[in-house]
Amino acid sequence: MKSVRLWFKKDGLAVYISHLDMNRCMTRAVRRAEIPLWYTEGFNPHPYMTFLMPLPLGQVGMREPLDIRIEGEMSFGEIKKRLNAVMPEGIEIIDVAKPECKPNAIAAAEYEIIAEFANEGEAQGFALGAASLIEGGVLNAEKRSKRGIKTVNLCEMVRKFEAEAKGNEVFITTILAAGNTVNLNAELLLSALLSQFGAETENTVIVRTKLLQENLSIFE
Amino acid sequence: MYPKKLEKFLLKVQKPGRYTGGELNSVVKDKSKVDIRYAFCFPDTYEIGMSHLGMKILYSLVNAREDAWCERVFAPWTDMEAVMRENDILLYGLESGDEIRNFDILGFTMQYELSYTNVLNMLDLAGLPLRSKDRTSLTPVVIAGGACVCNAEPMAEFFDITLPGDGEEVTNELIDLLKEYKAKGASKQEFLQAAAQIKGVYVPSLYEVEYNEDNTVKSVNPTCGAPEKVEKRNVADLDSMFSPSEFVVPFLEVVHDRTTVEIFRGCIRGCRFCQAGFLNRPLRRKSPEVVEAQCKAICDSTGYDEISLCSLSTSDYKGLEKLITNMLPWTIEEKINIALPSLRADNFPKELMEKLNAVRRSGLTFAPEAGTQRLRDVINKNITEKEVLTTAAQAFSGGWTAVKLYFMIGLPTETEEDIEGIANLAQAVVDEYYKNPDKPKGKSVSVSISVASLVPKPFTPFQWEPQDKPDVLIEKQNYLVSCVKTRKVNVSRHVPWTSFLEGVFARGDRRLADVIETAWRKGCKFDGWAECLKPDMWEESFAENGIDPYFYTARRREYDEILPWDHMDYGVTKKFLVNENKKAHKGETTACCREKCAGCGANKLNGGVCDEIGKTVV
Repeated sequence: MKSVRLWFKKDGLAVYISHLDMNRCMTRAVRRAEIPLWYTEGFNPHPYMTFLMPLPLGQVGMREPLDIRIEGEMSFGEIKKRLNAVMPEGIEIIDVAKPECKPNAIAAAEYEIIAEFANEGEAQGFALGAASLIEGGVLNAEKRSKRGIKTVNLCEMVRKFEAEAKGNEVFITTILAAGNTVNLNAELLLSALLSQFGAETENTVIVRTKLLQENLSIFE
Repeated sequence: MYPKKLEKFLLKVQKPGRYTGGELNSVVKDKSKVDIRYAFCFPDTYEIGMSHLGMKILYSLVNAREDAWCERVFAPWTDMEAVMRENDILLYGLESGDEIRNFDILGFTMQYELSYTNVLNMLDLAGLPLRSKDRTSLTPVVIAGGACVCNAEPMAEFFDITLPGDGEEVTNELIDLLKEYKAKGASKQEFLQAAAQIKGVYVPSLYEVEYNEDNTVKSVNPTCGAPEKVEKRNVADLDSMFSPSEFVVPFLEVVHDRTTVEIFRGCIRGCRFCQAGFLNRPLRRKSPEVVEAQCKAICDSTGYDEISLCSLSTSDYKGLEKLITNMLPWTIEEKINIALPSLRADNFPKELMEKLNAVRRSGLTFAPEAGTQRLRDVINKNITEKEVLTTAAQAFSGGWTAVKLYFMIGLPTETEEDIEGIANLAQAVVDEYYKNPDKPKGKSVSVSISVASLVPKPFTPFQWEPQDKPDVLIEKQNYLVSCVKTRKVNVSRHVPWTSFLEGVFARGDRRLADVIETAWRKGCKFDGWAECLKPDMWEESFAENGIDPYFYTARRREYDEILPWDHMDYGVTKKFLVNENKKAHKGETTACCREKCAGCGANKLNGGVCDEIGKTVV
């Protein structure tokens, strides 16, 4: 039995697949691909499969990790080839590798957000306002956790924030806390910023580009 | 693929995956290269529709043709409907995102009566007139199949065509005909008249219905050369019949998400309340080799880890043991679980049960249907209390601690004693658990009883029977609950008003079209969903149209009354049904087809052959 880390991209129609549904979707994909999976030895055997960092519904993931365990030998190249042959539209395996970092080493994630506004003026105003607000260090918002709803200062979870307006659109690059202990959903940050300015977007695209460790080196 | 316009709303509705398409094995074609675009419409949510085997079969069957493209359409849930109506988004096919009003065929499947308002809602969301006569162009042709079209009369004004019986062959013939008539620029009327000549095609508008003063049917008269009796379509050979090798694999969790393969059509049992058991006669069997190959192909193309061998009474399949024995080596190897729905308590070997549980253990369910032997004889459910208890004891010794029992109330000749019998039988099952010396320590037994209400259906021996009114059913339910003395038995019951509405439509006539349309205009839809059912709106709709709904449910019909569905021929003769009805009232049983042919007459549709009894002289 050995652990294998799959790296996949999730975009297009696949962004509407929820985290729970992803689990079922990937289980079936590895079955169709006839990857020699290792099954748990319990009352109800199931393949071992762990998504390290759930991706919220509607967001694009450029490089998302999924750990599986296999029995017997199969090369990483073969696993990748087989999986891509059976993947549904919008999900692509971009890499198969040995897990280098421990799952709990994930500490942050980088996002690229495109927010479309009704006009250039609104976009300009939002880009400038958002950047200075984050710099100011205080942006309180209600955050849901397992223990209930509480008010937190989102800025404490923002490690980097840049916003630039181009025409109607604002392009945001940000690094946010991610992982089991502290985690900030990019959508929550965006909606908190929007409500500060009483602004509304016409459309938004949120892309998680990479997962990072505490020192902001790449999570492998 | 959804229409671009919808994109910014998708994350605002529940379960956007219902509306996006793009699932594995969904079929996308080049629309410029097909002649016929077919929208398979399921008048309920995605999760229910995607569990339906009929849709999977017809979807693959139409898409196997180069000249046609079949897409899926489901009823949008109320939140999505609001988004669509606010933003002028018309109902679209999940594969292309194109508006279905421009398709050639909209094919609805009518599995239950409570989806009728959803059909109207979907036609309206598609931007089409509701009534057949108001849709004047040749296409789209609005057709319907499924169990409910054995009495399509309440929906006759809305559908252009219905297809009683098996859909596999007639669907292709209808597509061929439409392609021809479209090419020559024919009118809708010309097409419908030609379609009516195909066996298994019913064109309601070609039949004139006259009523007596008491509102019963006086006569049904075919026009324009349409046949006097519409014979249901029957596929003779299940082995060579089209069967899909791929299922669309949903992302969302749906009701039944697994490989499903039919093992036979029809039923040998003859339970007198069961419409499916009569509508699907004669019995036609698929051979075990074909079943196994189909199961394997679907598992390979989907990655499913469960197979359901499907039929009306799976343990009656000749060769079941051989089939399962052959399948076990590869299913165990691939960690695939085999599920056998519709097992009977009396004829399933214990050893087979144990083998089946090698991968995953499923629940245990029995359907005694009635609480006393007398009433089980009335409904011809030929199963004894002893058989139920023996099987339950076997199951308990095999380690099960939970059992589900299905019953019905509102059965003909039912008394308080019969209802008490339900509680007694459940108690006897509980007692059986405590008699088992090896029962697990510290674990209690749980017996769930689910109580449905009888809805007498066309083409069953009970088609003449009165149906209990909702208040009577509630009294009976309450009485049952009062008879249950232990917390180890829990009772779940159906909403009596739902059964009532189902009963009105099941045995309804054409006069109900206005009621259905009025109710839909008042906001009725998803009537089968307790949270959506609006009894007040329905009562208003009946009243506004001067229709007494109890005319359809509460009345005992005479044997010689012309029933609204008498011009449909499902093979089983009326003489046979009358005789079964009489026997029911005398408490006499009819042996199952395996013991003795009961002479139902359905084999005449199949060249005199019934796979249970072989060929007999017609």
